[in-house]
Amino acid sequence: MAALFATRQKDPSPAMTDEEYAKFCEFFYRKTGIQFQAGKKYFVDRRVADRIEKTCSESFRDYFTMVRFQVTGEELQFLVNAMTVNETYFFREDYQFDALIGGILPEVARSKRRNEPIRIWSIPCSSGEEPYSIAISILERWSQADSWNIEISASDIDSKILHEARTGLFGERSVSRVSAQLRSKYFLPRPDGSFQICDELRESIDFSLVNVVNPLHTHRFRDIDVIFCRNLLIYFDDVGRRETVEMFFDALSPGGFVCLGHSESMSRMSSIFLPRKFGETIVYQKPLSAE
Amino acid sequence: MVLVKAGGQRTLVLAEPSRDPAVLLADLSAAEPSVRRAAARDLAPHPEAAMALCDRLEVEASPSVRAVLLTSLIHLQSPTVAMRLASLLRSDDVPLRNAAIEALQEMPDAVAPHLRDLLADEDSDVRIFAVNILGALRHGQAPQWLTDVVRSDPHINVCAAAVDGLAEIGGPETLIDLEALRRRYEGNPFMEFAIDAAMRRIRGH
Ligand SMILES: C[S@@+](CC[C@H](N)C(=O)[O-])C[C@H]1O[C@@H](n2cnc3c(N)ncnc32)[C@H](O)[C@@H]1O
Repeated sequence: MAALFATRQKDPSPAMTDEEYAKFCEFFYRKTGIQFQAGKKYFVDRRVADRIEKTCSESFRDYFTMVRFQVTGEELQFLVNAMTVNETYFFREDYQFDALIGGILPEVARSKRRNEPIRIWSIPCSSGEEPYSIAISILERWSQADSWNIEISASDIDSKILHEARTGLFGERSVSRVSAQLRSKYFLPRPDGSFQICDELRESIDFSLVNVVNPLHTHRFRDIDVIFCRNLLIYFDDVGRRETVEMFFDALSPGGFVCLGHSESMSRMSSIFLPRKFGETIVYQKPLSAE
Repeated sequence: MVLVKAGGQRTLVLAEPSRDPAVLLADLSAAEPSVRRAAARDLAPHPEAAMALCDRLEVEASPSVRAVLLTSLIHLQSPTVAMRLASLLRSDDVPLRNAAIEALQEMPDAVAPHLRDLLADEDSDVRIFAVNILGALRHGQAPQWLTDVVRSDPHINVCAAAVDGLAEIGGPETLIDLEALRRRYEGNPFMEFAIDAAMRRIRGH
């Protein structure tokens, strides 16, 4: 107890000077697209200090050199995992799932050949609640679901959170918006109070490590019909947003859709998509005749 | 079963082989838009390609390729790039002009040296576009430049655009100039309405 008190009282000295912080942010931005606002120094500093300690680096300089030149990229991955904000839960912003079921999928189905799968990509998926919510919504609510093969891919830059997504264990908070009926159908309650998603769902989603601003990671995503990209672009600057939506343009089939988070709009990012309204929700469509 | 698993695992590429810039430059005029987009995107780290990207932008007909060309030019921004983009403000192609305005807004330091000239252009449309750029430019001087427009531009539409810009980025110090402008256009309901709205917004109610 006494020791805890002592560490609490002593404000740790910063790992980085202001100049080093600026350099670090620039580097991190180039690698991930994520921009730290001015007020984030403490948040970033504490996490970098932790990595300096865990890697037994002598100083920030040593650590930073290692991160930049390490061939495997392993330490960069640790840093990324430490810096990302993974907040998510089942059926978050569920009016978009309503739009998916009531408007988007029927429209996609109308112009598709039966033997072709409908492809959906959840990026970023964080711990998996979003792609699982998509799967459950389709299975429960889309009347045509039985007539189609549906592929759901889900990606994130954070390898640790992806592991959690693949494992599919969720706490009470995360499933708070899942009805009792759906809980009993798709989850197995565990003695510790957590919920294990059923294997059928777990095994049907293709999880992968993807950095959206790295074309080498994204080029395999093609002919996608619907992209969910929610609560990512808020961490990017305008250029990162432009690059991301331009990448989506290449990833989508003609007529494909992008669903963004509620505080995100494409109006300042790109004029190459058409805004479409389904109920109260605005989503963005790649024009059918686009090139 | 309805849900089928997509493609399976593929390994992640860590090393980033860069493509030969000469090939990329040739690809800028490939027949396929997707090839042109990829070339434009991959030229973003090559400052020596900036002028070729500007040249392509002037003839490029596909909106999606234009978008990528402009994003790469934002990466490669310089006063020269900004000047080439500013020349598009005279274009009759409205989507191209708007796209150029948006891109210029993303390069405050590169466009700043040209703004004086653009604001003094004899074509009032070019002055309006320059004012549009200023309204969303993250540059410390932007409010001051807009105030100068309000004080001295003889054209009502240019002044109206500057009022809109000041509503977004103006501080209390601009109120006195807005009041003066209101007197200048006394009796013009459109201007009175726009100026009153801007002043209310600046005062914060
Ligand atoms: C707040 S979560 C959003 C999860 C879900 N889409 C939702 O709306 O609930 C943001 C996620 O973005 C991921 N992320 C951040 N930068 C990324 C990048 N460059 N590429 C891919 N994912 C990224 C983070 O790892 C984090 O898991």
